[in-house]
This record gives sequence, C-alpha cells and structure tokens, in this order.
Amino acid sequence: MGSLYRSEEMSLVNIYLQSEAAFTCVSELGEIGLIQFNDLNESVNSFQRKFVSEVRRCDEMERKLRFMEKEMKKDSIMEDYHKNVNPLAPGMKEMNELEAKLEKFETDMKEVNKNQEKLKKNYLELTELKHILRKAQVFFEETAHLSDQQHHQEVDEDRQSLLASEYSSVHTINTLSFVAGVIQIEKMANFEKVLWRSCRGNVFLRFAEIDATFNDPDTGDAMKKNVFVIFYQGDQLKQRVKSICEGFHASLYPCPETSPERREIAIGVMTRIEDLQTVLNRTEEHRRMILTQIAADIRKWFIMVGKMKAIYHTLNKFNVNMADKCLIGEGWCAVKHIDEIRYTLRRATEMSGSSVPSILQKLKTKETPPTFHQTNNFTQSFQTIIDAYGIASYREINPTPFTIVTFPFLFAVMFGDVGHGLIMFIFGLFLVWKEKEFLQEKGSNEIWQMVFGGRYLILMMGFFSMYTGFLYNECFAISLNVFGSAWDVSKIRDVNNTLRYEKEIELDPWHNGEVFRSVGVYPNDSGVPYLYGMDPIWQSAENKITFQNSYKMKSSIILGMAQMLFGLILAYRNHKFFNDRLALYCEWIPQMIFIWCIVGYLCFLIILKWTTIKDPNAAPSLLIGLINMFMFTPSPDGLYLFNGQNTFQHFLVIVAFLMVPWMLFAKPYILYRRHIQRKQNGGEYHSVSVNVDDTALDMLNQDDRSTASTDSNDSATVDKEEFNFGEVMIYQIIHTIEYCLNCISHTASYLRLWALSLAHSELSEVLWKMVMNIGLTAFPNTFMGGVMTFAIFWFFASLTVGILLLMEGLSAFLHALRLHWVEFQVKFYKGQGEPFQPFSFEQIFLNAEESN
Amino acid sequence: MGLFDFAEVGFNVDNGFLEGLTRGFKNGVLCKEDYRHLTQCDSLEDLKLHLQSTTYGNFLANEPSPLTVAVIDDRLREKLVVEFQFLRNHAYKELATFLDFIKYSYMIDNIILLITGTLRQRQLSELLPKCHPLGIFDQMETVTIANSTADLYNAILVDSPLAPFFKDCISEEDLDEVNIEVIRNTLYKAYLEAFYDWCEGCGGATAEVMCEILGFEADRRSFIITINSFGTELSKEDRAKLYPRRGKLYPDGLTELARADDYESVKRVAEHYTEYRKLFDGTGVGIGEKTLEDKFFEHEVTMNVNSFMQQFQYGVFYSFVKLREQECRNVIWISECIAQRHRSKIDSYIPIF
Repeated sequence: MGSLYRSEEMSLVNIYLQSEAAFTCVSELGEIGLIQFNDLNESVNSFQRKFVSEVRRCDEMERKLRFMEKEMKKDSIMEDYHKNVNPLAPGMKEMNELEAKLEKFETDMKEVNKNQEKLKKNYLELTELKHILRKAQVFFEETAHLSDQQHHQEVDEDRQSLLASEYSSVHTINTLSFVAGVIQIEKMANFEKVLWRSCRGNVFLRFAEIDATFNDPDTGDAMKKNVFVIFYQGDQLKQRVKSICEGFHASLYPCPETSPERREIAIGVMTRIEDLQTVLNRTEEHRRMILTQIAADIRKWFIMVGKMKAIYHTLNKFNVNMADKCLIGEGWCAVKHIDEIRYTLRRATEMSGSSVPSILQKLKTKETPPTFHQTNNFTQSFQTIIDAYGIASYREINPTPFTIVTFPFLFAVMFGDVGHGLIMFIFGLFLVWKEKEFLQEKGSNEIWQMVFGGRYLILMMGFFSMYTGFLYNECFAISLNVFGSAWDVSKIRDVNNTLRYEKEIELDPWHNGEVFRSVGVYPNDSGVPYLYGMDPIWQSAENKITFQNSYKMKSSIILGMAQMLFGLILAYRNHKFFNDRLALYCEWIPQMIFIWCIVGYLCFLIILKWTTIKDPNAAPSLLIGLINMFMFTPSPDGLYLFNGQNTFQHFLVIVAFLMVPWMLFAKPYILYRRHIQRKQNGGEYHSVSVNVDDTALDMLNQDDRSTASTDSNDSATVDKEEFNFGEVMIYQIIHTIEYCLNCISHTASYLRLWALSLAHSELSEVLWKMVMNIGLTAFPNTFMGGVMTFAIFWFFASLTVGILLLMEGLSAFLHALRLHWVEFQVKFYKGQGEPFQPFSFEQIFLNAEESN
Repeated sequence: MGLFDFAEVGFNVDNGFLEGLTRGFKNGVLCKEDYRHLTQCDSLEDLKLHLQSTTYGNFLANEPSPLTVAVIDDRLREKLVVEFQFLRNHAYKELATFLDFIKYSYMIDNIILLITGTLRQRQLSELLPKCHPLGIFDQMETVTIANSTADLYNAILVDSPLAPFFKDCISEEDLDEVNIEVIRNTLYKAYLEAFYDWCEGCGGATAEVMCEILGFEADRRSFIITINSFGTELSKEDRAKLYPRRGKLYPDGLTELARADDYESVKRVAEHYTEYRKLFDGTGVGIGEKTLEDKFFEHEVTMNVNSFMQQFQYGVFYSFVKLREQECRNVIWISECIAQRHRSKIDSYIPIF
C-alpha cells in the first residue's frame, strides 16, 4: 500500500551549497519539487535578508511584464499560448539580458504610448473643433434667421452674413462677443446653472449634442460631449465665463465670426485630421508590432521571472556562511527521495561549473516531521476527504486506502438503486473520460471544481450504488425479475378464482399447504431462493416496508459494528507501530472487550435470530431484550434465543462495567508510578541515557527509523514536562466517558444507513407511483396517452435528477462523510500532522493561478 | 424608545453586509508590529516590501522605481477612496446619508483650499491634485470666480449639499485670508452641528457612539480656534461665534473659553473636564514630548477604536474612515522621515492598535 497506508518516512536534511552553485541547485530542486525548506531566518525582516535586491529586481521585472500585459489587453492582442512552455529559471547572465530586454521593451512601449497619446489628444482637439464649426454654423444661421424675422424692416440685406455685426447694428450700444467650446455631457446641467447664476442671466447659451463619441486619450473611456456657444457682453463677463469654463473642464476653441472664415478653417481642419489619421494609423501599427513581438514570449518570461523570484525567496531562507562562501539550507524530504535529490544536486553543481560539490546531510531531530502522502489522480479525491478532517499525524495509519472502499459502500447502502446508480456512474465515467480536457479548461466555477475534483469518488459511488441497488432489487423503485421469483402462486388451489376474487393473499413460506408442496422447499421448483438480493415478489407485497425496515435496520448495526471494529484494529496497528504498550494494555484491550460485550453481543443476537427463529410469534424483541439486559430483568414474555441467555447477559454487562475502571485508572496510575520511580532514581539519569543513545545512533548509522524518536515518546515528554496527575486523570476521564458513551451512540448512529435508505426508496417509489404511473395510465390506449406519457416523462426525469440524484445524493454523501469522520476515524485517527509542502515551481504557479 | 422599537433588528437587513465589510477592512489596519517594522526600513523600497506583507498587498507593485513619498500618499489615499466609494455605492437609505455627511467635511476642506489658492494667485491645475478625492463635486472648481461669500453661495454652492451649512456666513465682504478662516470655521461649525443632530436623531447605539466622537471633535475645534486666535485681529465676540455648540464644553465651557486671553486660561477651562485635563497635561514641543495636537489625535484614535465595540450602529463607518486616514498620516510621516533621513522623529506616529 506504500505511502498511502502510512505517510512517507521523512528526514531532516542540511544542504550545503557553494554560493555560485546555489541558484542552479535550488532551481533544479524546484523543478523536481521534493523538498520542503525551513525558514532559518524567521527573525529577520523581509527587507533585511540577503537576496532582497534580487527579489526586488524580479518584482521590477514582473511589474514591467504586467504593464506590457495590460497594454496587450488594451489592444486585445492575445498572447501566443503554448501549452507546455516550461523554461528553466535563467542564470545570472540571462537574467541581466532579460532585464535589459524588458527595459528596452518598456521604454519603447512608453515612447510609443506617449506619442500616441499626444497624437490622440491632437486628434481629439481637431475633431472637437470640427464639430464646433459645424454646429456653430447651425446656431448662427438660426439666430440670424430669428433676428432676420424680428428686424425685418430695419435689416435689409445679406442674409448669409453674420450675426455679430448684425446684432451690433441692432443693439447699438455694445458688441456682442462669444466663446465656443465643448464640454462633457454629464456636466452640462450644472454648467448651465452656474453660468446662469453667476452671470445673473446676462449670457446666452446655445448647445447641441455631438453625435459621435470621443475616447478619453488618458483612460480610453468613451464619452459624449456637447458643443456650446456662449454670447456675452463686456470684458468682465468674459473673464467670468472663461473661468467657469475652466472650472468645468470645458475646452474652448477659437471660432471665427463670419461664415466664410469658418468654412475656410473647417477645410483646413479636415485636411489636418486626415493627415493625423494616417500618422495615427502608422503609430498604431508600430505599437501592434512591438506588442506581437512581446506576446510571443510573454508567457515564457512570466514563468522565468516567477521561478527566479521563488528561488530567491527560498535562498532567503538559507543561512549564509561567510567563511566558506556557502549557503546552508535545512529542510524535510522523504527518505526514499534522498538519492534523487542528491543526484539532482550533483547534476546542478556540474551545470553551474562549480568545483566544490554540494552536500546533503541527514540530521537527527526531535521535531515532528511533516506528513507526506503520495497520491495519484484516483486517490487524491479520497485523501482530500480525510485531510478535510485533519492531516494525519506523522506516520500514523492513513484511513484513505480503506475509505476508497468503505466510503462509496456506505454511501451506496443509503443510495441503493440500480437506475440512479447507473446515472451517477455514467456521469462519473464521463468526467473521468474527459478528464484531460476539463483539467485544461480550468473553469473558475467553484462548485464545478468541487464536483470535478471528486470525479473518481462519484464513479465509485455510482458503481457501488448499482451493486446495492441489485441487492435491494430496485431500479427507479421497480424490482427486476432477473432470475425468476422463488415464489410461485400457481400451486394455490383454485388459483384463477383466488387471484380474481381475493383482494390479498398470504404467501407463507412456513405454512404447509397452500403454496408449497412441502416445508422448506422453494416454490420455483428449483429448490433455491432467489439467486441474488431481494426477491422481486416483495415489490407487490403489502408488508414490504415492514420487512425491509427490520432487515435494513439490523444489517446497519452489523455494518456499523464491523466498521468500528475495523477502526479498533487499526488502532491496534498504530499502538504496535509506535510501540505504545501502555495504550495497548490499558486502553485498547478494555475498549475491545467493552464493545464486544455490548455491540458485539447485539450483532450476535441479530444473526442468531435470523438463522434460528422460524415462528414469528416465538421471536423475542431485540430492543426490549437489550433494555432488559442492562436493567438485569428477565424477559417478561419468557422468550429467549438460547438457553441460559439471561445469565450470560448478566455476565456480559458485568464484564463491560468492569472495563470502565480499567480504562479509567490503569494508565494514569502507571504514569504516576513511573514518575515516582524516576524521581527516586534521580531525574537526570534517564535523559542522559537518551542523549548518549542519540549520538551513538548518529555515529553508527544514518538509518533513522522513527521508532527511535517515538520509542522515547512517553518517557521523553514526561521527562520534559512537570508531571501533573490531575491533568492526566481528567484527560483519561474524558476519554473513557467518551468511549463508553460512543459505543452506544455510534451504534445508534449507524441506523442512519437504514433511515436514509428507507427515505430514498420511498421517495423514488412515490415519484414512480404519483408521477410516472399517472402519465402511463392517464389515457389508456389513445393517442393522447402517448403525448401525456412523453410530457410526464420529462417531469419525472427532472425530478429524478434534481431531487433523487442531487439532493438525496448530497445528503447520503454527507452522512457517509459523517460516519467516516466521526464513527470510524475517532477510533484510531489523531489527525494532528502538518502537511508536507515541498518547494515546487509547479505548485507555486498553480497557487498563483488559483489566487487570480 | 418603546417596548417594540427594536432598531437593531432591521440593521443587518440594510447594512449587515457593509458593516461586516468595514469590520473586515478594519482588521487590515496596520498594527504596532507593522509600524515597528516600518520604522526599521532604510529606504522607501524597503517600506514597499514590508507593506506588501500587509493587507495593502501589491498596491505599490505597479509603480516604477524610484518611489517618492507623493506616490505613496496618492496610492494610500486611492485605497481609502476605493473602499469608501464601494461602501457609499452599496449604502442604503440612512447609511447613505451618513456616509455623505462624512464626505461633506472633505468638501469644505476642498473649497477652502481652492479659495485660498486663488487668493494667492495659484493656478487651478496646481491646486486640483491637492484636493481630497472624497470631497470632489461638480461645481467645486468654479469657486475660484467668486469674490464674496454671497457670490459663492448664490452662484455656486446653492445646489451643492453644502448649501445648508452656508447660511450663517453670507456677507458681501470681499474674500481675504482672515475671512476665509472664519468661513471655514463657520462652515465646520454648521456642519458639525448638523451631523451631530442627525446622529442624535438616529437614536440607539449610533447616537451613543457618534455623539461622543462628534462632541469631542466640536470641543477640539473650540480649543484649537481659541488657541490659534491669540495674537490675531479676531475679536472675542467673533471668536465665540465660531465655537460649535455641541459636545461637552457646551454651554459652560464655551462661555469660559470665549473669555480666555492666553494659553493658561484655556488650560484652566480644560481642567474642569477629566478627559481634556489629561490631554493638556504634559504637552510640549520638545523631543519625546507630545504636542497638544498629537494628544488630540491619540484621543480621537482611541474613541474610534472603541466605536467598533458596539454593534448595529453607523459609527463603525465613520471610525473606519478616520482610522484609515490616521494610518495614511502615519505611513506618510514614516516615509517622509525615511526619505529625508530624519530618523530622530520617526517614532512620532500615532499607533492605532
């Protein structure tokens, strides 16, 4: 089972790297991703570390890359997407080159941008002017027209000629001057108000919307603008109007007073706009050229810089030894990977051309190593379920390999239906089939990610559901008659009449006469019961639920007992592995006896009742029996399953209760005795011996089976800490009470297997009877019947998927999860480990992608 | 408050999300540990590196080197503005009004800044970047055309939300430096009184928390106005008109303050109030001593931190903005000290948590 059963054996190692080889070595280690570096400079601020300037350079490069990426997005140039671009981290020289290259691109880019911005601004101004000229023409014409009408008599000629002069001829006192400009449309209302108020209504404003939209040269946002012309008299007002315009960021343009002049300017403006347009196009082209050049490599650069940054961050965790010019790193790695790491180091050192080899040295340590399970696509989803409860403590038994089987099985017990299981199985199969495509898609939908992550789980759950579905003989709530029912009504006397007139008939396997030729022979003439699972005849039986309830309830308890027992066996393996005799003798044995006396005995009774009782009336109730057992009262109806049952029960209860003090006092007492003994022997003695032991081991060989450290676990911890009897006692009391209560409550908890299974089969039956059946029988033998069935089917199908598959499936999943986390794992699993997080580029980029 | 008047019951329906968000923002406010690290920095680059490990994250990542204090200031302010705008855009009914009230004080500052600037013949383009982005409104930039307060009010501010605060200071006098200070304080007075009354009207925990904070703000202004007025041409009667009539000093303390002639007499007034006595004790300008201003700031920070202790009230929003602002001041102070290599005073920031 390898590392899935227990986590990998880990070793603390020191790595000595020559400073010139350090970068390449760490880079190669990042590629293989097998070692987790510890931070040796935790007390040092991030900006006081050795490679801070390099990190900063990487930051700067990343900034440039981001800048270019942003520019690319602005022009919607897609980067060349190569799936498997994975350049190595560049060396010193290449880094400088890359830096220079990026620098050049950035300055180019900025230059182009600046030019473009200037041109765009120019272009914007010219277009605005163009619009002003065009609109102003209209304003003036209107006004001219107006004044024309008003002063029909006085004004005699030249309708084309313009207002300013005309006006002055009308209002003889002052010349009316004007300014023209454009303003953003949102500011218009306030602009108008302020203008009116602060000039006390002495100005005349005309405005019109420009149909075209403009782009802000700075931000590129689209905006709408208005052309306005303000007429006023006098210098003071002019100042005022101008500063208001300034305040509202309205741009003013010179606008000549006469029409021909305007036309002339307009022509000039048009040609300039055209020229500008060509220049703009050319700049745009140039920009695109640079950007496509960048786009070809930007992904590669991002990865290179990201790797460099990660390497320097890692090197910052190293100790620097000035004298030997070397860097010393410390980290965890799996013992079985040490050779590979050594090989990688040697290769990297050669690559960097350093003469002095890099050294990897194992260290002895009392620290608890991180937990490392090597998983694959299939086991990953199950490991995730376990990790969600808690990361396994170092080298303790990992429940994952067992969960792979038990989880889908317990799920299926609650979800037993061939049809539903098949749908789920096919869905899981589809996910697994298209795995590679989905993996590349990397959709951001969290729920989908979760479903996809559990694809193998879904596959297994579907498969097991089909299995239990066959056992329950249910397919969308209908039984399948595959092997031919073992019940046969043809043997009933006068069978035709009976079936026609009797509403219900009783088929009694033990009753001699009506159904059978002789007792104990099955009616299908084969002499055997239905080959596999439930007999389909139960589908039409009145007492189906009663029968199945009792059956499923009892099997739930047996399943529960089996799983809890298995958990205890795993606990035994753990105690053995860690050589924890105290826990084995003072906890595990009484626990085992206790559970056997109560739950084990119950299971025994269940099986006995199944196999021996033939007359339903002579069957004692198990529930009442169990209560009587604890109350020490004899069975009131005098029904027993075997001789001497009452006495035997008394014996079991007494034994079970005797286990309680054993569990409660034995361990604290022994710990206390050990403590006293050690005190008498003089506290120093033991710890000295441990020290000698360790160094001796160190010198002798480097084979560090963790037993060495775990062996002295009890004594060592007791040694170090002040022994506190009260604390130990309270801890033990809590655990004992918890265990004893749990034996009962956990057993009861397994009844959820029955409850959910019942709910599921009832719901699917309701769905069949109330929906699909109605559709099938609504208009018998007519064309409408077909239409009806078709319509109802979709209703039925969506309810089946929505309620039965999704909701019921989810609830069965949660209950299975609970049974594993609480009822099963509590028996043996501590889950107090730290996960192993190797320094791996792949992981770093994955994380970065996720956080984006 | 009646038996069935549970203002808190509905609070989360309207404001729960934003309150939660604000409390989350508050957790990102730099703590003592962070400041300790920041003061150890040797350059602004170091500062940037350290800020990266706080909730500020990569807010300076896209700035080309070399960094300047001005850039840091802009980015810090931008972050506050983004957060505030988000709150404002999602705010509902009363909370929206409340947040607008917070904005008004920045508007007042901006107007005064612009008027003073114009009086000193500065260009508008030069003044605009100095305006606080929270206090920008459409008509703001046109205040430069006004010659008198009446002008200012009638032409420009009459539509702006500041109009109601303006009614006490309308006159035909030309604007000059003293005048402007008077306007600023009158505006502030009207603003504080209005804000205070609004919060009081809210009742419940909001009134409890905000009235205390705003009352302190009012008292602080009264003290500062009095102290700053010594040696200027401002008459005592005019001065008394500027005191916000809310807070602990009102009414007795204010009457006494109005009579004060020197710093000592102000201090005597403060003696009557336990909170303020502490603030006046042991202030000075030497190294190691704290100025009265700093003491006021410290007290304000404490009050704002405490406002997070109460639930179902708007005070957290106000306090958050004020704390962030204080934080910006702190970071800028530290950056300035680093940039100017003036490390002896680097510790004079005001820690928040």
